[in-house]
Amino acid sequence: MWHIYLRDTPLEVVALRGVDMEVYKGEAVGIIGHTGAGKSTLVQHLNGLLRPHKGKVIIDGVDLSQEGVDIRAIRQKVGLVSQYPERQLFKDYVADDIAFGPQQFGLPPEEVRERVKWAMEMVGLDFERFKDRYTFSLSGGEMRRAAIAGVLALRPKILILDESTSGLDPRGRSDLLRRIKELHEKEGLTIIFVSPNMEDMAELVDRIYILADGQVVMSGTPREIFSQPEELYRLGLGIPQVTEVMHALRARGKNVRVDVLTVVEAEAEVCKLLNC
Amino acid sequence: MSGEPLIKVENVHFLYNAESSNPIPALKGINLEIQKGEYLVIIGHNGSGKTTLAKHFNALLLPTKGDVWVKGMNTKDRSLVRDIRQTVGMVFQIPDNQIVATIVEEDVAFGPENLGVPPDEIRRRVDWALEVVGMLSYRNRAPHLLSAGQKQRVAIAGVMAMKPECIVLDESTAYLDPVGRKEVLDVVKKLNKEEGITVIAITHFMNEAVDADRVVVMEQGHIVLEGPPREVFSQVETLRALQLDIPQVTQLAYNLHKRLNDFPKDILTVEEMVEQICNATAG
Repeated sequence: MWHIYLRDTPLEVVALRGVDMEVYKGEAVGIIGHTGAGKSTLVQHLNGLLRPHKGKVIIDGVDLSQEGVDIRAIRQKVGLVSQYPERQLFKDYVADDIAFGPQQFGLPPEEVRERVKWAMEMVGLDFERFKDRYTFSLSGGEMRRAAIAGVLALRPKILILDESTSGLDPRGRSDLLRRIKELHEKEGLTIIFVSPNMEDMAELVDRIYILADGQVVMSGTPREIFSQPEELYRLGLGIPQVTEVMHALRARGKNVRVDVLTVVEAEAEVCKLLNC
Repeated sequence: MSGEPLIKVENVHFLYNAESSNPIPALKGINLEIQKGEYLVIIGHNGSGKTTLAKHFNALLLPTKGDVWVKGMNTKDRSLVRDIRQTVGMVFQIPDNQIVATIVEEDVAFGPENLGVPPDEIRRRVDWALEVVGMLSYRNRAPHLLSAGQKQRVAIAGVMAMKPECIVLDESTAYLDPVGRKEVLDVVKKLNKEEGITVIAITHFMNEAVDADRVVVMEQGHIVLEGPPREVFSQVETLRALQLDIPQVTQLAYNLHKRLNDFPKDILTVEEMVEQICNATAG
């Protein structure tokens, strides 16, 4: 799939060139790349915000480029949380903002209320405490969660999070990641998670696509990807610290596994070496 | 480092909405001295008071109780605000909100122009500032076409062109990707080590504190930990309870130390960890 901004003008930029990607039902897939690699451009095709100039985008069997595609149905199925989602908030009161989507879809009031309650619970905003708060009086982290709840209230099957942990503090970040994991594991949502942070990816996703200059340059499971540190360094990306440690030990002749992603795994491997 | 501290924070309390019926206490008795040439990192969660404290360093906020002295000047003295802000410059989180001109070098010149600095001195300062942050070759570019890390470096150059003695970076890497973050941190380190600028960096990324001279950890308006990075990082239990991001290698060191008493627990980098493991396996 290709996408070209400002085509045939002097400012033309080929944002995506020949990108192939597959996401299976119930999977959690990560997209990593630098600023300008094409990540946001790519995910904006997944709910029809952008159309490809060449190639196809097929969501749940529906080819988005066909005539008469029900784009509203697609937008209900595919929830996209953009970067700095708090910028999407516009209603005075939190519950009203979250209710906006379901209301636009013509759902009855009782159903809307249920959806809002569920969505708020999913993001950790207590319904009674937050429903009547002014949206703009919330903290940054709370606003972000309210915006995500607004997308969840449509009960999408596929949830795309575009750099949703950017600007959050560690507590906020680990809380959000935990909730995304829950949505994936307990509610069975298919998740597409865009982030520059390698350590987040290791925890969360089944497979990773790495984008650079509008192309997919690497793809595979986290273990496969992180087993190629030189490639990743060349691309200007890092690997989890513990994985780096393992590779360095291997380079020094120590007999250790290098496909280690977490502190717990590293501890086990190092203890084998140190007999503890 | 001897002599008068560059910045002295004396029993500072700060309340948001102090006049209202619902004041919010943000700082609850902070005492801190910052020495000239120091590289200090202040860590804490959103809500810990770290940004509120940062804004006291150049009189953006004034204490509700207590005093802040910058080079012996009390920040409450309105007649000294210009001199205080000349001494302590501040860089904020969002690069786009700090850039005002349409050409990089004009943006950097903005500060000195407003100070009434003569034109050839402005030229010298702009060139020097851009050189120091590694953006001299971008001097004629339009800022909005730069990456976030590049924009943040231009913002730093803009502050440096004012020739402050100290720069305060308020979560200046929060919205940057890893590459941008490294660019900014390298520049900041260089400013401190090579130009002798006092640096106060506010952040929630613990791995940015590795190169600091001193780390201060804040929680709910108090300073809860203070000391050189090694000392602070080795307090893993406390840091964990505060839900701060401990670098993976420090967590690993702590866990290994629990199993092997002579394995050091104050490891900060990958290189150190690899060395220690190799030492432990030899012999």
